[in-house]
Amino acid sequence: MRKPAAPAGATRINTIVTVGIFNEMVSAAGEPRPHYAALDEWLKGISSETVQAKRNEADLIFRRTGITFSLGGEDGGTERLIPSDLVPRIIDSTEWAFLERGLVQRVKAINMFLHDVYHGQKILKSGLVPADQVLANAQLMPLMMGLDLPHQTYAHITGVDIIRHADGDFYVLEDNLRVPSGVSYMLSNRILMMRLFPDLFYRYAVRPVEHYPALLLQTLRGATLVEQPTIVLLTPGRFNSAYFEHAFLAKQMGIELVEGSDLFVRDDLVYMQTTEGPQRVDVIYRRIDDAYMDPLAFAPDSMIGVPGLAAVYRMGNVVIANALGTGVADDKSIYPYVPEMVQFYLGEEPLLKNVQTWQCRKPAELSYVLANLGDLVVKEVHGAGGYGMLVGPASTKAEIAEFAERVRARPDNYIAQPTLSLSACPTFVEQGLAPRHIDLRPFVLSGKTTTIVPGGLTRVALREGSLVVNSSQGGGTKDTWVLEAPEAA
Amino acid sequence: MLSRVAAQLYWMSRYLERAENMARILEVGQSLAMLSSQNGPREAAEAALEPLVITDTVAAFQASGRATRADQVAQFLAWDESHPSSIVNCIKTSRENARAVRGAMTAEMWECINDTWMGLMQRQNASRSRKPAADTAFFEWVKERSHLFRGVTFATIQRDQPYHFIRLGTHIERADNTARILSVKTRIQREGGTDMVDDYYRLGAVLRSVSALEAYRDTYRDAINPDRVAELLIFNPGFPRSLLFCTEISRQILDRLPQQSGRLARRRAAELLAKLQFGNLQEVYASGLETYLETFVKDTIALADAVHTDYLETLA
Repeated sequence: MRKPAAPAGATRINTIVTVGIFNEMVSAAGEPRPHYAALDEWLKGISSETVQAKRNEADLIFRRTGITFSLGGEDGGTERLIPSDLVPRIIDSTEWAFLERGLVQRVKAINMFLHDVYHGQKILKSGLVPADQVLANAQLMPLMMGLDLPHQTYAHITGVDIIRHADGDFYVLEDNLRVPSGVSYMLSNRILMMRLFPDLFYRYAVRPVEHYPALLLQTLRGATLVEQPTIVLLTPGRFNSAYFEHAFLAKQMGIELVEGSDLFVRDDLVYMQTTEGPQRVDVIYRRIDDAYMDPLAFAPDSMIGVPGLAAVYRMGNVVIANALGTGVADDKSIYPYVPEMVQFYLGEEPLLKNVQTWQCRKPAELSYVLANLGDLVVKEVHGAGGYGMLVGPASTKAEIAEFAERVRARPDNYIAQPTLSLSACPTFVEQGLAPRHIDLRPFVLSGKTTTIVPGGLTRVALREGSLVVNSSQGGGTKDTWVLEAPEAA
Repeated sequence: MLSRVAAQLYWMSRYLERAENMARILEVGQSLAMLSSQNGPREAAEAALEPLVITDTVAAFQASGRATRADQVAQFLAWDESHPSSIVNCIKTSRENARAVRGAMTAEMWECINDTWMGLMQRQNASRSRKPAADTAFFEWVKERSHLFRGVTFATIQRDQPYHFIRLGTHIERADNTARILSVKTRIQREGGTDMVDDYYRLGAVLRSVSALEAYRDTYRDAINPDRVAELLIFNPGFPRSLLFCTEISRQILDRLPQQSGRLARRRAAELLAKLQFGNLQEVYASGLETYLETFVKDTIALADAVHTDYLETLA
């Protein structure tokens, strides 16, 4: 079903109508969707030489500003760029308004769920969420029981992964309530696009995202009851793959980038060691997993945590964002119940859909999963980063058989979902423009109010046919444009 | 600012300065060895050891099993990876400290120190079959890279605590180095008595190694005389590598650092500075130059310790 006589040049492939998947740019009839029309026209006028020149320029800007993705290791050679595609992903104002409402609703309900789990456990008593699923969950943090947090906020920063299915609807894939990353790419993609293609920003009224660090700082300030709080960003250190982002955000917010060894606990308070002497710390924006936060309370061999921190936290003398123990709500075994949470706590119909999920711990669902492995995506309950998963349709029989063994051995460790057809967006590849699968990670900031900068991070699977968008697995990113609402005529 | 970040900047610049000084010491060592070779093998061997005596590394060198020859000494102090203060290790440590706190310096500074490291690795790898060069051209390169980094720092970084800690590291390290190089003077004079021509070459080498030949000429406009060399390198207030100058700068920097901490460091700097400001050569010779310099090196170490305790140590 190709559009006949596509024009030659860089844009040749972009009007292919993708069968069975939602094409963000082109409608089923082969016409550019209204909000992509101007981009389509612009793309048709751009030569492949210009594209190559702009890509080189982009590379240079990224390298010079040090926007790299560290694969760990000692020497400079292990740092590489996350490819940034030069075709923006566009979301029109109506769609975004819907997404925004859905995200606010969902994250609110999740925060209420977390408060409930660590207090009255009403939802467990009601039987809506099976108590054993929560109480025996490895992510449940007994330390949090009965602890009151300012504004009852647990997940201050949430990076919800959303995809658009073939039916054109948005589905939430994961809620990412622990230490979501990627926001620095959202910000640097915008800087890059504005530098490379200023003319496009005259054609489109794109809503700004550059104020994210200011909103984040405001959220962190509001996360404590202390006036004029001292806020720090706690990083595992420069060998962490997201270190660039930690340094970037700390600098943008004007707060100290600290490592565990910079902090210490004395007389039930947390201090950082500065050249002016010890300085009290009120809020820790941590980019370290729960288990490594305090070697006295959790993993004793953690070299990156702060001894005694958990006890101070428990006394309410420091705020940790996100709170400890939020993982119990983004565990893949709890995920299926989020729509119920929305109804239970808010009395509202959930706006965002969940992906159908089979829980292998339930015998009936396990047998369905094992019988249909070839069509399903199977994931570890606690997994992240695209590791430890099986994409049925893309796997060999041997791989499927091997994975089936792993699922049979530990069914409670796995969930399965249908293979979703992530929507596609035109992307520059070797041959020119071609549709590639994308997802969307908006960043939701919660506190007294809930705020979201328009859009988020769009990740793109650069390999043809690939559905895995993770940067550790060869994914790239795109600038994400949310358009201003057209002025009322 | 965070103590850890301050410490990493301070050690970054101390190690770079140390690499530069090591190059200077090896340069003076090679000059002296050449001059001494005319006076027989015994004196030549003694001169060859001089860079080790200056840097307190005779025992470490002997433990490495190398032959006591000037070229082996140079290889050891320039390229030996088992020796913590070799030029290659100094630059490595300096660059690692910089890498850890890239955000606290300008992009140009980071690029400069990183390029220095890459250049050093190229030199090492280019000579896989034979030993990497430890010659005048190499020493010049090391000095040049160090000068470049200081220049880039001067031209790009904001005058704030990071800048102060970088300069403090440089000047504490440099004071220590000048005192050690000057101690050579006492040893090269021990036997020969006063011989004007010999003094000219030997003391000339010492002066050149601390970039002081021009300063000497401009200050004294006369033949090189041992007392004046000592006076210039200890007491001259305007010569940037003299003990007085380096100590004065350290004291000034300590005044600009946060005053809530640093009482002991400020006191030690002021005491040391007073000794220099109100001292003279007679006093130096009364105790003996070597003893005087040893005391100065110890006092500088005590000052550096105070800086550490007051500002740089994490965990209270």
